Amino acid sequence: MSKSLQTKHRATKEQRGHYLLRLFMAGNGLNSQKALANLRNLCEEHLNGHCTIETVDVVKDFQAAVRDNILVTPALILVSPRPRVMILGNLSDSPKVLAALRLSGRKS
Amino acid sequence: MHGKSRAIPKVPTQITGLDEILEGGLPQGRTSLACGGPGSGKTVLGLEFLCRGAMAGDPGVFVTFEERAEAVRMNAMSMGWDLAALEKARKIAIVEARLSGDEVLSGDFDIQGLLTIVGGHATRIRARRVVMDALDVLLRVYGDLQRERNELSRLHNWLIDRGLTSVLSVKSHRDGGDGSQYEFLDFMADCVIRLDHRVLGQVATRRLRVIKYRGSGFGTNEYPYVISERGIVLFPLTHSELTHKPLGAKISSGLAGLDAMLEGGFRRSSCILIAGSSGTGKTTLACAYIRAACRRGEKVLCLNFEESKEALISGMLSAGIDLRPSVRARKLLVQTSLPESMGSDGHLIRAMEAIDSFKPDHLILDAMSACTRMGSEQAAFDYLMRLVAVVKERGITCIMTNQSLAGNYEELSGIGFSSVVDAVIQLRFVDAGQEIGRQILVIKSRGSAHSNRREPFYITDQGIEFPNNLRPPSARAGTANSKDGGI
Repeated sequence: MSKSLQTKHRATKEQRGHYLLRLFMAGNGLNSQKALANLRNLCEEHLNGHCTIETVDVVKDFQAAVRDNILVTPALILVSPRPRVMILGNLSDSPKVLAALRLSGRKS
Repeated sequence: MHGKSRAIPKVPTQITGLDEILEGGLPQGRTSLACGGPGSGKTVLGLEFLCRGAMAGDPGVFVTFEERAEAVRMNAMSMGWDLAALEKARKIAIVEARLSGDEVLSGDFDIQGLLTIVGGHATRIRARRVVMDALDVLLRVYGDLQRERNELSRLHNWLIDRGLTSVLSVKSHRDGGDGSQYEFLDFMADCVIRLDHRVLGQVATRRLRVIKYRGSGFGTNEYPYVISERGIVLFPLTHSELTHKPLGAKISSGLAGLDAMLEGGFRRSSCILIAGSSGTGKTTLACAYIRAACRRGEKVLCLNFEESKEALISGMLSAGIDLRPSVRARKLLVQTSLPESMGSDGHLIRAMEAIDSFKPDHLILDAMSACTRMGSEQAAFDYLMRLVAVVKERGITCIMTNQSLAGNYEELSGIGFSSVVDAVIQLRFVDAGQEIGRQILVIKSRGSAHSNRREPFYITDQGIEFPNNLRPPSARAGTANSKDGGI
């Protein structure tokens, strides 16, 4: 009981912060489109829009992929708040994505 | 049917010996696979392919999934390849494609990012070669064979679409299955090379085998290789036909008496065996030959497994043979080593390097019998057969001494060796009442008449002396010439 309370408490705190998310996509690939759609939903439902989504098309900008060592796409980096997290895939498994973004336990 | 028009284009690897096995090199614009266990040299093979290409002006991208770029640079430097300089010259790009391991996986993904990075670098330096080292490490992220397969297929197609000649290295089964752990990769690749690292007779040995080569012939044996300070070195005996030089003109054995028994001397480019028990004068006989060759201005390489150069030279002084002028004139090079100091592959490399740089007309090996101490009878046989093959290809005259106790011919000719031996000289002790005498016999001298008599000889402080006034057997009445030594 106390654990879930704690989680809730932390999530509430982080809600105040603004989320900066960088999504690496590969052109108009199906998985990339899915990832973007999933990420937009997630922002609306869990962050009330308190987030900025940067998209990078690695096909157009290979140096960006080099900079962040993006080997697979789609890939999402939580730039802030720290610590930085990297999630690989089309983000279809939302409980896992929420946990990784430290948003678990937040009401949708 | 297999005319030149059908030959597939190839890219030479310039790895010593490998192109002979691959009949020219790796398939151009196609994918090759190098599989092997840890320490088998997969990385070195890829690295060498790339570096030798880059140094010859053919740029390439090295993708490392396991090691850090800095470790790759150091590894290359230990073999004399300056990656940093090649990177600066835009001849090589290193891509460190390592996942940190704490990424969270959610849903489907693909390796488009990697392809983009590799493609970007390839475009930047105009690469035509790509090496992907430890590809299996990246594939692990999928944890699903079907997905791994899809991604490999995508990678393979991408490489081919771009016309890149590529080498992918993956770990092979620990229990030594034939191909890589990704069987489908074996089917996909046009050329599959397996590297094997095993211990035989307490000596580490490495073997390379080409498992398949689509559209091309290749050497099908297992080939020993070593990783030396100049990269991978292989010794293929790939030619099914013997390319030995024909035996040449007669040359003096250095001893008038023996020349008479041989009807003029040994044949040039022949392989001569001097057999006898310890102390019968095998090395002395060989040194008389060395001195004569050096006096003619020819070069002699002496591989000695029995004693040091100093011991050899001072020992010969007491038998009236002074080799010091030959050494000073750089006509004689003595290379000594303990047979146990390395495996037969290592010894072969050392001998090959000396042959390549010194370019001798004659090679002396003292003694064959010591070679079994390189590990095993088989190791000695491999070493000697390969050495003789090289020597015969280059027309170098070769004398090997072999210590044998009994007089039977099988033992004299040494470990199943008789077919490559052109002449056999046997030395032995004879009990002559109050003293022990020595006798010499020509058992065989291919392509030449020879005496079939045992002749006494002495080793004095003036050298080897024959008490009988020997004349060639053909000049002697009543002695039938025998072409093939009837004893």
